[in-house]
Amino acid sequence: MKEVLRLDHVKKVIKGKKIIDDLSFSVREGEIFGFLGPNGAGKTTTIRMIVGLMKISEGDIVIAGKSIKKDFTKAIGQVGAIVENPEMYKFLTGYQNLLQYARMHEGITKEKIAEIVELVGLTDRIHEKVKSYSLGMRQRLGLAQCLLHDPKLLILDEPTNGLDPAGIREIRDHLRLLTRERGMSVIVSSHLLSEMELMCDRIAIIQNGKLIDVQTVNEFVQNRTATYQIETGSLGDAAFWLKSEWNIVMSKEGFTVETERENIPLLIRNLAAAGVDVFGVKTISKTLEDRFLEVTNK
Amino acid sequence: MGKLILNEWTKLFRRIGTWVMFGIVILMVIGMGTYLKYDESNHPPQENLNWKQDLTVQLENDRTSLEEVGQNNANLRTFYERQIAIKEYQIENELSPETGQNVWSFIGEAMGAIGFIGVFTIIIAAGIVSNEFSWGTVKLLLIRPMKRTRILLAKYLTVLLFGISMLSATFLIAAVIGFALFGLPEQAIPHLAYVDGQVVERSLFMQLIGEYLLGSIDVLMLATMAFMISAVFRNSSLAIGLSLFLMFMGGTVTMIVASKYEWAKYILFANTDLSVYFDGVPLVDGMTLGFSIFILFLYFALFQFLAFFVFAKRDVTA
Repeated sequence: MKEVLRLDHVKKVIKGKKIIDDLSFSVREGEIFGFLGPNGAGKTTTIRMIVGLMKISEGDIVIAGKSIKKDFTKAIGQVGAIVENPEMYKFLTGYQNLLQYARMHEGITKEKIAEIVELVGLTDRIHEKVKSYSLGMRQRLGLAQCLLHDPKLLILDEPTNGLDPAGIREIRDHLRLLTRERGMSVIVSSHLLSEMELMCDRIAIIQNGKLIDVQTVNEFVQNRTATYQIETGSLGDAAFWLKSEWNIVMSKEGFTVETERENIPLLIRNLAAAGVDVFGVKTISKTLEDRFLEVTNK
Repeated sequence: MGKLILNEWTKLFRRIGTWVMFGIVILMVIGMGTYLKYDESNHPPQENLNWKQDLTVQLENDRTSLEEVGQNNANLRTFYERQIAIKEYQIENELSPETGQNVWSFIGEAMGAIGFIGVFTIIIAAGIVSNEFSWGTVKLLLIRPMKRTRILLAKYLTVLLFGISMLSATFLIAAVIGFALFGLPEQAIPHLAYVDGQVVERSLFMQLIGEYLLGSIDVLMLATMAFMISAVFRNSSLAIGLSLFLMFMGGTVTMIVASKYEWAKYILFANTDLSVYFDGVPLVDGMTLGFSIFILFLYFALFQFLAFFVFAKRDVTA
C-alpha cells in the first residue's frame, strides 16, 4: 500500500531538551491511524511538526512525496488539519469562515463549499455567526474547513474532545466514510482509548517523545499472551511450583496466570496431578486501555 | 496576494470596533468644522488693510534675526532666508497672507485628526498578528499552501491600506464639510514654495495632499513598529502601549535630548517630521532631507526585518 505520510527519524529539541526523540512511522493510504500517548508525551508537538507549525530539529517529514521542510507549500496542500480545538473567527459566520480558507487554496468553487457544508450537516446554520455555535457545531465546521481542498491526509487532534456520545459517533461515521469512499488517510489523536479502538485501523503509542509501538488494533488488543483466571480449591504445596514455573498471581478464588492459549491444557493436567481442585477457567480479555497502561507504565 | 488582503480586510470590517474608529474620526472633523463656524460667526474676520505695513515690520525682524543667528546655524539661516523671500514675494504680488476660513484652510485644520488616525492605525497594526495568536486561529491560518512571509506581507499591506483609507476619508470629509461651511476663497490662493532661492507658486490642493502625507510619516513608522512588536512578541497590549507612549512622548524626549546631545539626530523622532525641510527648522544643526530619509529607511528596514524574520522562523505553540 502507498504511504501518505512518513516520519523519518524526527527529533525536536527545545532549549536543549529532547521533546521528540527519533520518531519514525508511516501512515498508509486509506487508513485511520491512531496516535496515542499520555499527556505531555509529545503528540501535539509531533502533529505541529507534521503541519509545519513547528520546525523539525532533525530528520524529515514527507507528505505525499513532498518534504514539509523543503517543499512546504506543496506538502501542506495535501493536508487538512485541526490542531487542538477548532478555533474559528467568532465574529464571522460559518460560511464566511470557510470563505477565508477557500481563498487560500486554488480552485475551490461555491459548489464545493456547499457540498462540504452539506456533508458535515451544517447547511441550516452556516450563515449564522460562529459565536452562536455549540461545541459540536464548531467541531463540524472545523472538519468542513479541512475538507474543502480534498486533502490526501486529514489530521485531527483530539476530534472528540468535549463532544457528547452522539457527536462522537457522528465524527466516527464521517471518518469511516471519508477513508472508505474518498481514500483519505486520517491521523487521530485522542485520550479516549475505547474510542480509538472503535475508530482506528492502527495505533502508534508514544511516551516521553519516543515511539513505543505501532500495532493494528486487533493485534494490540488480542496480543498472543492473555490472562486467565483459574478458580481452584486450596493450592497447598502446588503454590511453590506454580509461582516459580508459571509466575502466577494469587487471587481470592484461586490465581491468575498470563500465558499463551496452548499452554492451558498442560497447566490443568499438572494441577490435576498435584491434586488441586479446578472449578473453572476463564479468559480475562484486555481492553485497549489495559494494554495502553501496561505499555506506558513499563 | 489580493485574496489574502481581502481576507484581512474582511476580518477588520466584520468587527464593529473598526467602524467605530472611522465614526470617531468623521465626527471629529464635523465637530471641528462646527466649532470653527461658530467661532467665525461670533468674531467675523476683519479685513486687515495694513497687512503690507505689518509684513514689512516682520521682514525687518527677520532680517535682524538672520544677521544675529544665521551666521553660525545653517538651518536657521535657510529658514529666515525662506521667510524673507516669501514675504517679499507677497508684498510684490499683492498676495495678502490673511484670508478668512475657507475650504482649503479647513482641510489644513483637519490635519489635527491625524493624531487620532495614528492611534487607530497603531491599534490595528498591533492586533493584526497577535489577535490570530490569542484567538487560536493562527493554527488554521498557517497550515495553508502559502509561505508565512506572504501572509505577513498581506497583513502589513492591510494595515497600510487601513491608514490610507482613514487619511483619505478625513481629507474627503474635511473637503466636503469645509466647502459646505466656509465655501471657496474669493480668489484662488497659491501655495508659495521656496525652491533653490526662488519663490514659486504651487497648487494649494497638491500642497495639502503633500502635507497630509508628510504628517503621516510618524504614524507610518509607529504603526510599522507596532506591527513588528505584534509579530515578534504576539502581544497586542505591549505593541499598543509602547507605540502610543512613543507617539505621545517620543517627540518631547527627543527634543530634550537634542538640546544637549548631537546624537539625538539618529533618534527616529528627530526625523519623522520632514516638513521642517520645507518650511521650518530641523532639530539638530546640519541635518538634511536626505539624512532624515536615510535614517527613516534604516528604522523601517530594521522593523520589517525583525517582524518577517521572527514570524517566519517561530514555532507556533498558541
